[in-house]
Formats: sequence, structure tokens, C-alpha cells
Amino acid sequence: MNIHEYQAKKILQSYGIKVPEGAIAYTPGEAKRGAQRVAPHGPWMMKAQIQSGARADGHFLEKKAGRKGGIRLIKHRKDIFTEAEKMLGATLVTKQTGDKGKTVSKVYVEKYYNTKQMFYAGLIINRNIPCITLLITASTTNMLELAVNEPEKILYTNLGLDDKITDEQIDKILSFLHLDKKYRSGLSDFINQMHKAFLELDAIMMEVNPVGIDEEDNLIALDAKISFDDNALYRHPDILQLHDDSEEDDSSLKAAQYGFGYYKLDGGSIGCIVNGDGVALSMADMINAYGEQMACFLNVKGGVDKDKISAGIKLIMTNPRVEGILINILGGFLRCNLVADGIIAAASEVGLNVPLVVRFEGTNKDEAKDILDSSGLPVTQAESMEEAVEKLVKIMRESD
Amino acid sequence: MSILVNKHTKILVQGITGVQASFHVQRALAMGTNIVSGVSPQRGGTKYFGVPVFNTVKEAITATKAEASVLFVPAMAVKSAVQEAVESGLKLAVTIAAGVPVRDMLEIKAMLKGSATTLIGPNTPGIITPKEACLGIFPENIHQPGNIGLVSRSSTLTYEATLEIDKAGFGQSTVIGLGDDMIIGTDFVDILKRFHEDDKTKTIVLIGKLGGMYEEIGAEFYAGLLHKKPVIAYIAGTTMPFDYKMGYAGDIITHGKITAERKRQAMRQAGMTVVENLSQISECLKTLK
Repeated sequence: MNIHEYQAKKILQSYGIKVPEGAIAYTPGEAKRGAQRVAPHGPWMMKAQIQSGARADGHFLEKKAGRKGGIRLIKHRKDIFTEAEKMLGATLVTKQTGDKGKTVSKVYVEKYYNTKQMFYAGLIINRNIPCITLLITASTTNMLELAVNEPEKILYTNLGLDDKITDEQIDKILSFLHLDKKYRSGLSDFINQMHKAFLELDAIMMEVNPVGIDEEDNLIALDAKISFDDNALYRHPDILQLHDDSEEDDSSLKAAQYGFGYYKLDGGSIGCIVNGDGVALSMADMINAYGEQMACFLNVKGGVDKDKISAGIKLIMTNPRVEGILINILGGFLRCNLVADGIIAAASEVGLNVPLVVRFEGTNKDEAKDILDSSGLPVTQAESMEEAVEKLVKIMRESD
Repeated sequence: MSILVNKHTKILVQGITGVQASFHVQRALAMGTNIVSGVSPQRGGTKYFGVPVFNTVKEAITATKAEASVLFVPAMAVKSAVQEAVESGLKLAVTIAAGVPVRDMLEIKAMLKGSATTLIGPNTPGIITPKEACLGIFPENIHQPGNIGLVSRSSTLTYEATLEIDKAGFGQSTVIGLGDDMIIGTDFVDILKRFHEDDKTKTIVLIGKLGGMYEEIGAEFYAGLLHKKPVIAYIAGTTMPFDYKMGYAGDIITHGKITAERKRQAMRQAGMTVVENLSQISECLKTLK
């Protein structure tokens, strides 16, 4: 689960990390009052609160929002109201949002800090070791491009669960960033507090990009991003409350409610229902080999409730891009007959307007096949994954 | 022979009285699995499908000499259940549940270091040595005893690959699902090593997928083996653009190198036979006959 910048900053602040004074605003009037509260004199920063990186380099779809990106420096008091008016309700497109962009429903107004130097600090789960890895780089632009093209510009430091960062590690970071030794204790506090918050709150990623050093040599989190482990949210009801439904695709949201995974791809026309991510990946490959593309897949995992499965199937059936549906279930934990019942329930509710090919294997497969056969639904059954893909593609092409 | 479990392995079931456990324990017993005891706090002293139930793992081991355990406990209880297994010195623990918090897994990995326990999972169908022992949730009637070792990082593709082995007219020595989660107990290296030490296993089928670098690490280990058994490998996820589960963070760690094609390259270079499509596994096996 992701949260907004202003929420992440509040969390970091509660761990003793310095963040700029800020106020959240849903209206231009609130922005104006908020700005006055956080700093009597400008300049201020105004930041669109959508869950996406690269907001500064983004652009708005609407003309009224002006040409600037989603993060704006405001020098004069009189401009606060008008800039907030421009951004609020407009659609911000960034490298990460896709062409449709995201609607800005709130802005964060902050006191502007003059900085002598800035750098990136991030904590992520390193599954290969496994451990938590601290990433440090002097560059504050695109981390992914940096990791791919110039990995030597990132310093990777592996942290254990209980360890605080050692003096040796801190010295290495200081020299990597060409920072004076006087920052040693400030930097080590900053990182230790990030690490503590990361562990205590079950985060899986935490980025402060950038960390700024102000004129009084304070380290300040000028931007913050935190992703939490969905599987651990039951331990953090307060964080769960920070969830912003408007940030998520409706289908993903609904799927998550049922304990399923929903993943949408760019383009494609075939919707798939599977029990397992590996099978989904493999099916996407096979569909590709037959000259078509997967539009989305729903992973019903070990779902054992017929009604939930029916709700999940409806999600796929009602996706307008889907011109054919493939259901491939290899029952182990999951029993095929429950899926068959779910298909019938879903079809009777939303209708079955596109070709459907089903392949059952494993636990209770014969029972499941009989259920579908006697349902009278126009369902094609297949014996293997490849046969299912082949059959569906053929039916789709014939009906074109 | 087989690896990790056979018909003599004394098995205990942690969380034996749960609904899902009941279904799968009955099936495992019917297959002949040597389940000697179960653990369920506060149910000690009772019997479940004829299996004596104890309050703790230690009590179960003392009374029944259990050596390996399968955990049918929910994700949030996995950490403490694994801890019990590790502290009791069980040589094998297989944990089925999906959705174990990452932090719990980091703690579990630290516990496993230097312990006697091999952990398989979480989020795995488990381990099966056909007609001998089943610790997990495998579909019925698709496994045949034989000499192909199967190890997979994707639960459902494990079943697909099993069917491919059947189709080629072979059977399995042991089938192992490593688990679908971000952090798993055991990786390809340990299992490849065991299959190479097992006389019965003649050929190994390896199923990998996008995400992490488990396949690359396995390939590196295989490349260094003096006597190699043939490995047929399949990697799912060619058409996915990136590590979709870990996304950005995963790509930063591996410098964006996690593509299925790169995994395949590493495996080919190590000397494995890489197939492009699952259904080529059976064709490939047939040529070995």
C-alpha cells in the first residue's frame, strides 16, 4: 500500500526526522491560509498530492493549470490562491501515471528551504540476500535509470534487522557524497530513524528524495514516499486508515477486497483468470506466441468461496477491453468445482457476451467439468493451457 | 530414493485441526504419508483422523520422533510456528500459507541460519515424493513415481510441469515448490545440490519466473558442478516488462537486469536446456529416452 507525500512526512516527523512545515489544502482558500500558517513570508512550495514520482517533470492536461509541473515554487503571497486554483481539479500526467494521468484533489503547501546540498536516501527490501538495503546517491533524478545505466553512482549498504548503521558505514556514505565529517551524527540519526520507522511500520520501500541540507546544517526530508507491506497491514490499523481509494484502479480495489490480485497490462484483448502468478506469466507468454495479447489477469489465489470467485470473474467480464476470456485453474488448495459454480453465478448476473474457454485440472476437476457441461452456457473446455489459448484465439478470430 | 522426504519420514502437522488442514491431511494419509503426529495448542491428547495431537512441537517429537513438519497455520502465525520447528530441531519444515509479512520472513531467515532446519516456502504447494509422502496441497492423481526431479518457484506451474513429465511417460522422484513469495526459505541451489546427490533422480526440471535473481544464482551454482545431471528449464514472464511484483525496488537492486530473457541466457550458459514454452518440456524429455 502506498501513501501520499504529506502522510509520509508526518510519519517521518513522528520518528524525529525534520520535515518542512506544511499544510494540506483541498481548496485555494485553504492553501492561502495554510501557507500563512507554515511561513509568514515566502517563498513556498506547492505540491500536487497524487501518488506518483516525477511530479515536477509532469504536465497538466488542462490549459487552465498552466505549463508548469505538479511541484511549484511560489514567491509571492498573492500567487498562492491562483496557483492552487490552477492545480486543484486538474489532471497531472507523469512518467509513472500513464497518459490518462491522475486528478489532483489536494495540494500540500510547504515552507521553502534553501539548501546547500541535496542527495537521495532510500530503504528497500533486498530479496536476494535477504536484508534491508540502504541506497544513497548524490543524484536526485530518476533512480531506476541510474540503477540501470550508472549503478556505480549508487552506494548500496546492507542493514540487518537489529543493527544501527556503523560509524564505518556512515564514513563511507559521507565520503561517497563528498560531505564534511561534521554531518556524521546528523546523518547517522537520520538513517537510523528511517530504518526504525521502516521496520516498526512494516514498510517495504521508503524514499527520501531529496534529503536537503539547509543553511543551519540540518538534514531535512524535502520529499518522502513510503510503501507498506500489504500482508502486514493487519498490525497497523492506523496506517490502513491512510489508504486513499481514489488512487487505485477500481478493479484492483475490488479484487483486493476479495483477497485476489488484479493486474492490468497496456493493450491486449484477452482477460485471464488463474490461480497463481506464475501461471499468469506463463499464459501471457503463450497468448503472445499465438499472436494476441493479455489485457488483464485476475489471480484468485487459493480463494475458496464461490461468491468471491463469482465477484472476481465479474471484474474480468465487465472490463470493456476484454474480447475473450480464458480461465485456467489447476486446483490444489483451490477446488475446481467452486470455480465452476462461480462462473455460472457470474454469467447469470452480468451475461456472457464474449467467448469463454475454460481449462480445469487437479482437485475436483471432473465435477467442475460436469457442472459447466450441464449449465447450458456457451463455454468451450480444453485439456491443457496451450489448447485453451489456441481454442480461444481461434474463436475470437472467427467471430471477427 | 528421493530427496527431503520418503515413506519412512516421520511427519508431523502443525495446525492439524484447521479446516484446510483436514482436507489435505486426509488426502496425504490416503496416499500413505507417514504422518505420526499433529500439533494444535489446547487440543493435545485428542486424535485427528487417527493421528495423535499434541500441544507443542517438542511434545510431539518426544512422543512420536517426528523429523519433518508441514505447517497449515495462517500467515500471521507462521513466524512463531517456524520458530517452534527450528527450536525443536526438526530437519524440515514446509509452510503452505501465502501472505507472510516480509519482516517476519527476514526474522525467519535469521533464525534458520546455522539451524538444523530446511524451510520450504512460504506460499508453496509443498513437497511430494509420489506414492510415499505428501507435505502440502498438491492436486490429486497427477504424480507418478519416477526419476525426474522437479523444482519450481511458481505453485501452479509446478502442476503444469508435473503433467508435462507424465505426458512424456516419466514420473517424479520428488516435486518441490519453493514458494511464490518475495522471500523464501530455500532456493534453487540447495535443491539442485540434493537432486545431484540423489541416485534416483536422473534429470531435473526447473521452473523459474520473473522477479528476483534466484534463477541466476541457481545457474551459477550449476555451472560450477563437476558432474551435471541434465536440467530442463522454463522461465515464465517473457512478455511482462519488469519485476511486476517488486517493481521499481527490485529493479534498482538488480540494475534492471531482471528479464526472463536474461535469466534464460544465464541458464543456457550454465549448460541447462532452456525451453521457450511449457509444452516443450515433454518433447524435450522424450528425446532423453
